[in-house]
Amino acid sequence: MRLSTSTLYVTATTAGLALVLTACGGGSGAKSTSAGTWDKNATVNVGSLYEPQNLDNTAGGGQGVTEALNGNVYEGLFRLTDDGKVDKLLAQDYQASADGLTYTFTLRSGVKFHSGKELTSADVKYSLEKVLADDSQSARKSNLEVVKDIATPDAHTVKVTLSQKSISFVYNLSYVWIINSEAKELKTSEDGTGPYTLAKWTRGSALSLNRFAGYWGDAAANKQVVFHYYKDATALNNALLTNAVDVVTSEQSPDALAQFKSNQSYKVNDGNSTTKLLLAFNDKAKPFTDVKVRQAVSAAIDDQKLLESVWGGYGKLIGSMVPPTDPWYEDLTKVNAYDVTKAKKLLAEAGYAKGFSFTLDTPNYDPHPTAATFIKSQLAKVGITVKINTITPDEWYTKVYKNHDFTATLQEHVNDRDLVWYGNPDFYWGYDNKQVTQWVAQAEEATTTAQQTELLKKVNRQTAEDAASDWLYLYPQIVVANSKLSGYPLNGLNSQFYAYDIKKQG
Amino acid sequence: MTYTDVLRKPAEARRRRSATLLAGCTLTALIALLAVVSLVWLPYDADDTSGGRLAGPGDGHLLGTDKLGRDLFTQLMTGSRIAVEAGLGSVTIAALIGVTLGVLAAFAQGWLDDTLAAFLDILIAFPTLLLAMLVVAARSATLGSAVLAIGLAQSAVVARLVRILVKRVLAQDYVTAARTSGTSWPRTVVGHVLPNIWPTLVVNLALQFGLAVLAEAGLSYLGLGAPPPNASWGRMLQEAQATFTTAPAGALAPGILLVVLVVGVNLVADGLRDTLDPATRRRRS
Repeated sequence: MRLSTSTLYVTATTAGLALVLTACGGGSGAKSTSAGTWDKNATVNVGSLYEPQNLDNTAGGGQGVTEALNGNVYEGLFRLTDDGKVDKLLAQDYQASADGLTYTFTLRSGVKFHSGKELTSADVKYSLEKVLADDSQSARKSNLEVVKDIATPDAHTVKVTLSQKSISFVYNLSYVWIINSEAKELKTSEDGTGPYTLAKWTRGSALSLNRFAGYWGDAAANKQVVFHYYKDATALNNALLTNAVDVVTSEQSPDALAQFKSNQSYKVNDGNSTTKLLLAFNDKAKPFTDVKVRQAVSAAIDDQKLLESVWGGYGKLIGSMVPPTDPWYEDLTKVNAYDVTKAKKLLAEAGYAKGFSFTLDTPNYDPHPTAATFIKSQLAKVGITVKINTITPDEWYTKVYKNHDFTATLQEHVNDRDLVWYGNPDFYWGYDNKQVTQWVAQAEEATTTAQQTELLKKVNRQTAEDAASDWLYLYPQIVVANSKLSGYPLNGLNSQFYAYDIKKQG
Repeated sequence: MTYTDVLRKPAEARRRRSATLLAGCTLTALIALLAVVSLVWLPYDADDTSGGRLAGPGDGHLLGTDKLGRDLFTQLMTGSRIAVEAGLGSVTIAALIGVTLGVLAAFAQGWLDDTLAAFLDILIAFPTLLLAMLVVAARSATLGSAVLAIGLAQSAVVARLVRILVKRVLAQDYVTAARTSGTSWPRTVVGHVLPNIWPTLVVNLALQFGLAVLAEAGLSYLGLGAPPPNASWGRMLQEAQATFTTAPAGALAPGILLVVLVVGVNLVADGLRDTLDPATRRRRS
């Protein structure tokens, strides 16, 4: 499991998603409609490692909830396109006031919930309040706390007043599912507006979705989608080989890919991901309080070799928290790049010419132990001794995330646009730079996205130069599918998997 | 085997017995040798990642390398040391606690005897893995925690065996004679009980050694044993699982060594039983 799915995370799991409806950028072979005829009544079998804990995305259901239900069963007022732009979905139109504090949304008319009820502004109000409720575990809750008031002047208008300007407000709304305000038992059932209804959920095994006849938009290209859940990647790959599933949402190891690459019956797709592997220092704990020590450690680790070890030829190097799909991306891989001589020099300047020793809290699941082993061997070359302490995800949450009781740790951060967390000095990594905090705050209150982007680029560069953390690499996003399939999302970033455009040859 | 069979072929029986022991000792010694040599010499530094990702056998690496480019044979040698350490450590803990508890239980009377017996049964029924997880949660995931957990679980098995053996010895006439003549019970234990139970005990401990090695590999496989970068065989198997189709050596090598060691100690235990067990010895001579 990936820790990052849980609500403690940063910017929720949904953004930057490959929106199937919009044309996708390069390498989108699978998106083009294949020449052959396709079966409108096909059942698409999807293989996944991420079974939902429950079906409510405000109740800690995990990334499996997003994967199976987001966009398929539930829809938001907005959705995100492949290049990170916001598209209108259930909102037909919206207007922001000049001071940026009031947003007026006009809802699409003729939208029906699966239960038959028509969508009204009351449902939108209810859905927003559900995310903001005290017991909500939604990852977007903290971002949406700027919402001061939600008014519903008529059945198709929603007026939201904010306590302060928030340029990401509309973007954040794309994470809010619009749910029927009268729906009950949302942990085990659903009532959304999406192109599929939930047919059956067999815990521990499968979740099936059926095409919704009353959908307001274009009907799904297939009749049924079944998510099959596996506990381990080998079993999942075997299921693909034996045609038990048609597509695997996210491959977690490059070594199983050879068998698919050499086989005409399968297609291996290498998309964009936003998942970053971090060596996160506790910037408030010695010796990582010293910028030079952090820079030295970053420079002493050969990220390219680590990426090669873990992912074969896949994945990318990053020099900061920002993946290429975020609007404020800049290639910073040259900052604190691999340079052992420079690392030694920096250590000497910091007064650690003879090195030092620290404990690395390492989550006990892949790829963390491998990365920890690699880091230990790399840092030994500059005289730093690493003591690897393996911990469970629960321990990580309590010890590292909540109590900040660590010196350095490893963690994967799955979300897009999560650079802004370096503006929060109370976040677990304890990076405290007043200027950065100010920039992040200003960026959120910016009037134009150009201003926002400019400010966050500054944040990006500053955190990179300060080596706030060591960003080891960006994961690849690998989707493997049967060649009979087309139209599946390629960048199903970390969790979303829109299934409605998937076509299966008859 | 009937009495007359044995009478007719004592030499053959002895030969088979010693062949088992010899085979067991050879296999065990092989691993022990690897473990001992690893203390003073390794083909590569344990941290050396210069080998290239999943390189095949040959080219300076006898068995190839792992994902990080570390030499597999080096890891196997370190792994054999960890396996032997885990086996010896667990068995020592099991023997110390097991024999003490078992002897006490055997001497206990009435309700205390029943309680101890029930307690041991419950302890035996408690899954080793679960016990190990508790120990690891209370301490941290280290080889020491794993060994402690395995040792504790096995001490119950040893204690139950010792209790039965001791009770049997205590029922003998010569023990009754010794005790009525005023010999203290500690002296009875040292002078009469232990000499009579040790052959069976040693055989059982040898078997427990094999089980302990397997248990440690299992725990390390689950990430509850020796932490990285220590190359426990179990961890190696776990790491090699994803790359089994492309680089099978990574999984086969630790798997084979695990089998060699466990079969080895089991054969030793078999051989020892035939040689040492008074019952077998009496029947066969």
